Amino acid sequence: MAECCFIHFSRGDVSHRVRASTLHAGESHTENVELLNPVNLALQCTWTGNQNKLPNITGFWRKDGDEVENSRVTVQLEGDEYELKRVFSIVSEESLGSYSCVFGSEAKIEFVLAAPQIGEVRDKPIVSYVGDSVVIACKMEETKPKPGSWNWYKANGTDKEQIFVVAEPLRYEIKNEERKTKLVVHNLTEADGGLYYCGAVYAISTTMGHVELKVISFQEPLKPFIAIVIEVIVLVAAILLYEKSQSKKNYTEGSNRETQGENNGPEGSSSTRQRKI
Amino acid sequence: MSNKADGSNSWSPTEERDVSLKRIMPPAPENELDYKPLDGGWGWMVVVGAHISIGFAYSTPKVLSVFFIDIQEQLGASYSEVAWISSIMLAVMYAGGPVSSLLVNRFGSRPTVILGGLLCGVSMVTASFGNSIVYLYFFIGVIGGCGLSLNLNASLTIISKYFLNKRPIANGLAMAGSPVFLCVLAPANQYLLHMFGWRGSLVILGGLMLNCCVAGALMRPVVLPRKPEKVEERPNLCTKPQQSCRNNAKKFLDLTFFKDRGFVIYLIGNVFFIFGAYAPIVFLSAYAIRQGVEEYSAAYLLSIMGFVDMFVRPGTGLIASSKWIRPRIQYFFGFAMVFNGMCHLLCPLVKCYAYLVAYAIFLGVSFGMVFALIFECLMDLMGNERFPSAVGLVTIIECFPILLGPPTAGYLVDIYKDYKYLFFMCGGVVVTGGLFLLVMNIYYYHMLEKEKPAAVREQNQTKTIENQDLVSASASRKYQSPERSMAGEC
Repeated sequence: MAECCFIHFSRGDVSHRVRASTLHAGESHTENVELLNPVNLALQCTWTGNQNKLPNITGFWRKDGDEVENSRVTVQLEGDEYELKRVFSIVSEESLGSYSCVFGSEAKIEFVLAAPQIGEVRDKPIVSYVGDSVVIACKMEETKPKPGSWNWYKANGTDKEQIFVVAEPLRYEIKNEERKTKLVVHNLTEADGGLYYCGAVYAISTTMGHVELKVISFQEPLKPFIAIVIEVIVLVAAILLYEKSQSKKNYTEGSNRETQGENNGPEGSSSTRQRKI
Repeated sequence: MSNKADGSNSWSPTEERDVSLKRIMPPAPENELDYKPLDGGWGWMVVVGAHISIGFAYSTPKVLSVFFIDIQEQLGASYSEVAWISSIMLAVMYAGGPVSSLLVNRFGSRPTVILGGLLCGVSMVTASFGNSIVYLYFFIGVIGGCGLSLNLNASLTIISKYFLNKRPIANGLAMAGSPVFLCVLAPANQYLLHMFGWRGSLVILGGLMLNCCVAGALMRPVVLPRKPEKVEERPNLCTKPQQSCRNNAKKFLDLTFFKDRGFVIYLIGNVFFIFGAYAPIVFLSAYAIRQGVEEYSAAYLLSIMGFVDMFVRPGTGLIASSKWIRPRIQYFFGFAMVFNGMCHLLCPLVKCYAYLVAYAIFLGVSFGMVFALIFECLMDLMGNERFPSAVGLVTIIECFPILLGPPTAGYLVDIYKDYKYLFFMCGGVVVTGGLFLLVMNIYYYHMLEKEKPAAVREQNQTKTIENQDLVSASASRKYQSPERSMAGEC
């Protein structure tokens, strides 16, 4: 079972944090580390070893799958454990990612360093109409730290273009609250459809969430609607015509019986019955 | 007024054939059925129409909640503001009962249901253009609710005109429309939402609701054979049209119903039931999630309940029309209510998912049983003539428990932070209602039996006088001109 402990101390204006993780035999483990600001982060891994407890093994660090330069060291067995520790300078978005300490060729602990992620992502597209306005919203959960500000981007091919309200104040509106942001797009056109990204800005980086917008013309729902209306008219006409034809049949048979005032219900009718005078 | 012991079946020639109607409970009086109801034939098409109509009426306020999150985001409203749309629709649907009764009494079921369908369709389509929540309150809530209330009352009335022996089955099949449409419309609405957004979905939903007009077309009015005696017996309505309008106005909110003991017993039992019945369903998923069930499985519980409900309603109708149950149908109704209440009381004892599924199944069974019988019992009590007005009065009174029940239950959850008090309250209220019905009905019919010997003597006297009149009337009125007999159809 992996345990972790957390020691925090600050020196000057840059705080040092130590993140530790312990790995027992035959396991690998992943730790998620949430970072808001640039920091010198010390990562420490402790391994209890396998059956043959060799006195020395090689340990090294990886970032995003590539070995970190000059990180390969020889680790001594101390108190039945091996320990790897290194301080990383996390300053910007490039420094974030996956850091792994590797013991020999088997034991590995992965630390995923990232800014707070937007959890509630809307997976279904928002559908709106040409000429209408639409509100696209993004939210950061209460349990996560609040971002400094929000940005909005529109996908342009593989790129993202930031949306600036000042450039097109009639079309776009951005309403920011602490944990929520809303992008209002007025006067939609078909070209406005596509992926929109909301970026929660933290000192260390900006995390993205995305929402898809589909813009359709009002004729789209109109087609099934007209089909249904036609179906209703046809059915109603059919039912009423059927009834009329039935009642005509009954009228010729039953008109002879009307004046007799029987209340036994219809008996076997005979069309040769004559009206009594 | 309600001396039911003198309820001589005016369809006496056929009574000997209908041995199944030999009742322990005397039949409703004033059954002006001078004809034998079809009990089949075109009646089954009418049941289809009623099924569609009732289906839309009960399921639409619930399935609209699929659109709420989108509407909330786009119109910038809070969740409780948006949820009011459903509440207003439900409230107007129930409150519109008396208006619906008036229209049904005056024009018959067919035009009323067609009008209801048109109102619903137009309301949804107009609502799709809305940009404020109040606009939606008015068009979906008020106008849509009016349309639905017209549908409900008229569908029930036409069933009572077409069926007598098989009426419980017909009622069961028609009321089954509610769970069927709920199970169909909920995923359909999800699909429409993803394809067309909430505006387009409202347009298409409006189109679908126009099918209530098809349902209305199926509700062929029953043509009563004209009897000369009928003209004699009701001179007021035939010869004085102004008086007939006044009579109709009186029938709008006929408070004389409250003098009928059977009606009052039924009403009180129903109010208890409606107050406690809906809250457990509303909070079932939340309760399951609190017990550790995952979200998807918790939602599944409601689907199970709806699915079971679908089959139980016609099944209950079948059982209720059997010759053992039919005469004691009011007791069966009370029993079903007690069963429903007991399910709620036992729910807090249940923690794991398997037992929650069992609870959902029993809930579906008991809920279906009660709803299959709820209007059948009222028809049984009131008879065809008074049923439309009675059901209008019942629904407008039920408006209050239906609006107060779930919020009161929610308030209990907020105070005690525990769902079990909700279930205890709802179960307790429903069981009280059921027991009240059982006990009071036993007492009431016992009293009627005691009053019967005196009334039977009276009845025989009046019957001989009537027969003498009939003989003289038929002699002189036999050759009625068509215009005169037409005036009898006021």
